[in-house]
Amino acid sequence: MSTDVTRPASEYRRMEESITMAPLEPVETGDDVNHELLTLNMGPHHPATHGVLRLLITLEGEIVRDLKPIIGYVHTGIEKTAEDKSYWKAIPVVERMDYLAYFFNAYAFCGATETLLEVEVPPRAQYLRVIHLELNRIMSHLVWLGTSALDLGAMSMFWYCFRDRELILDLFEQSTGQRMHTRYIQVGGVAEDIPRGWASKLKQFTDQMPSRVDQYKDLLANNEIVLQRLRGVCPLAEEELLKLGVTGPLLRATGNPWDLRKATPYCSYDHFDFKIPVGTEGDNWDRFAVRVAEIYESVKIIEQAMDGLPEGAWMTDDRKVALPPRHELATSMEALIHHFKLVTEGFRVPPGEVYFPIESPRGELACFVRSDGSSKPARVHMRDPSFVNLQATAPMTEGSYIADLIATLAMLDPVLGGIDR
Amino acid sequence: MSWTPGDEMLVVQRASPPGAAGGTYRAFGETLRGLKTTMSRLVEGPKTISYPEEKVPVYPRFRGRHRLHRFEDTGLEKCVGCSLCAAACPADCIRVVAAENTPENRVSAGERYAAVYEINLARCIFCGYCEVACPFDAITMGHDYEMSAYNRTDLIFTKEMLLDEPLERTPLRGEGE
Repeated sequence: MSTDVTRPASEYRRMEESITMAPLEPVETGDDVNHELLTLNMGPHHPATHGVLRLLITLEGEIVRDLKPIIGYVHTGIEKTAEDKSYWKAIPVVERMDYLAYFFNAYAFCGATETLLEVEVPPRAQYLRVIHLELNRIMSHLVWLGTSALDLGAMSMFWYCFRDRELILDLFEQSTGQRMHTRYIQVGGVAEDIPRGWASKLKQFTDQMPSRVDQYKDLLANNEIVLQRLRGVCPLAEEELLKLGVTGPLLRATGNPWDLRKATPYCSYDHFDFKIPVGTEGDNWDRFAVRVAEIYESVKIIEQAMDGLPEGAWMTDDRKVALPPRHELATSMEALIHHFKLVTEGFRVPPGEVYFPIESPRGELACFVRSDGSSKPARVHMRDPSFVNLQATAPMTEGSYIADLIATLAMLDPVLGGIDR
Repeated sequence: MSWTPGDEMLVVQRASPPGAAGGTYRAFGETLRGLKTTMSRLVEGPKTISYPEEKVPVYPRFRGRHRLHRFEDTGLEKCVGCSLCAAACPADCIRVVAAENTPENRVSAGERYAAVYEINLARCIFCGYCEVACPFDAITMGHDYEMSAYNRTDLIFTKEMLLDEPLERTPLRGEGE
């Protein structure tokens, strides 16, 4: 087989090549130095872009004049794949979008489906979901803290954060069977109850986590180098962020306390007492401080949820949705028929559409599901916060140094698996 | 949506810009305080594990490579070739071809048995839905996680490979440990 080298460029290639930078005139400085604009291609394989993000940067000396993010390098077509699977089988698929917030992906999808089905989720399942969601939030923030500090040159932070992340992944493995992509959250509840000994291990973790975060704050929060790199760097006003649709810690850093866990409580988040950390100026230091403060709040939520964990079922008893218990398969013919029906065809969801937003570590993560009454979703769409937040990179960094662009990108916390889906 | 946070807000505190003396303290004192975090790690000792010589034991719920099972008393295969695992698989990585049991050739306890049972581990996402779907506990997720191969075709596991005991046992810990 020979490849035709004269083949005309594909539609996509043409589209990609048509991306041009805005024509920028060099600033008149008055001196004789010849100013020249430089177009720099950063990524897609660059350690500071936290994934396969490609940035086309127009530089004037060290100053960023224009910036265009180019995405799509890890596009997997998960939304389209989910249309071809029954609701039950789509859960582990959509879970794999934002690979640092898998419980959130699964919960957004399951929550949307439950809203369409009007299924009541038992209180124990809701509490178990909250515990796992908040553990996932801490885990995601630890990865962010470690890699961001690494971008700023604090190498040891990376190891400390990943050591603590390991404790959380260990808890996930014990309760759900997998460290990542756990498929723990199911439509109607959670897959399994927590195992024996898990509660005491979680207690150990929540007891030591605040002191660990104290240590990290000692190391970073007042360090002169970190302050020079973060304080007053690349702020963006609240109105600008709201215009772009930016949510999560980036918005809260400007002082807007928009947190869906408080604003529209879901999954019994209104049972817990916690505060929303907000910043004042919306610069990189506020973004850093808000996320670190969120770790403490998440620990508080986990402790409260574990203390008040209700007894009872962890899966709804609606046999139209939930698989029958395993012990009934050997004795009850009806249960076996239900089991076969649910596994092969899946449950049917009444026609309608729903938008189900939750607060992920990066902002408003929402799942839009449209059902046509069959057992497969007609359309699944995820509103991924990293995708929306990435738009704020250009207005944040215009006119700043390229070194500050790296710091801003780190504080933005984009996850490319979620952006490209 | 209107919503007032009231006292549920927590403003992250930032120190006011220090004077000359404060700036000097911050440059040196805070660095020393940060070094305390670094130095206390020295006392703690290493947290790393020398894989592959040392292995972290997995938990009972850990979902590793699949195993097919036989009845211990009769030696017959538990799988009856109903293909429910293949129907449940979100990654479509299981292929089952069923055949009838005959009195001369009795393979499973049911009427039919799986003549071909293949799992493509290159596609498998280890969600464990096959285990959930199986009404006879014939397929379970084992605890082995060392599955790398030099060749993609080596990752297609046949029925014999899945029925056999793994060459090397993965260390396992108890539920409460």
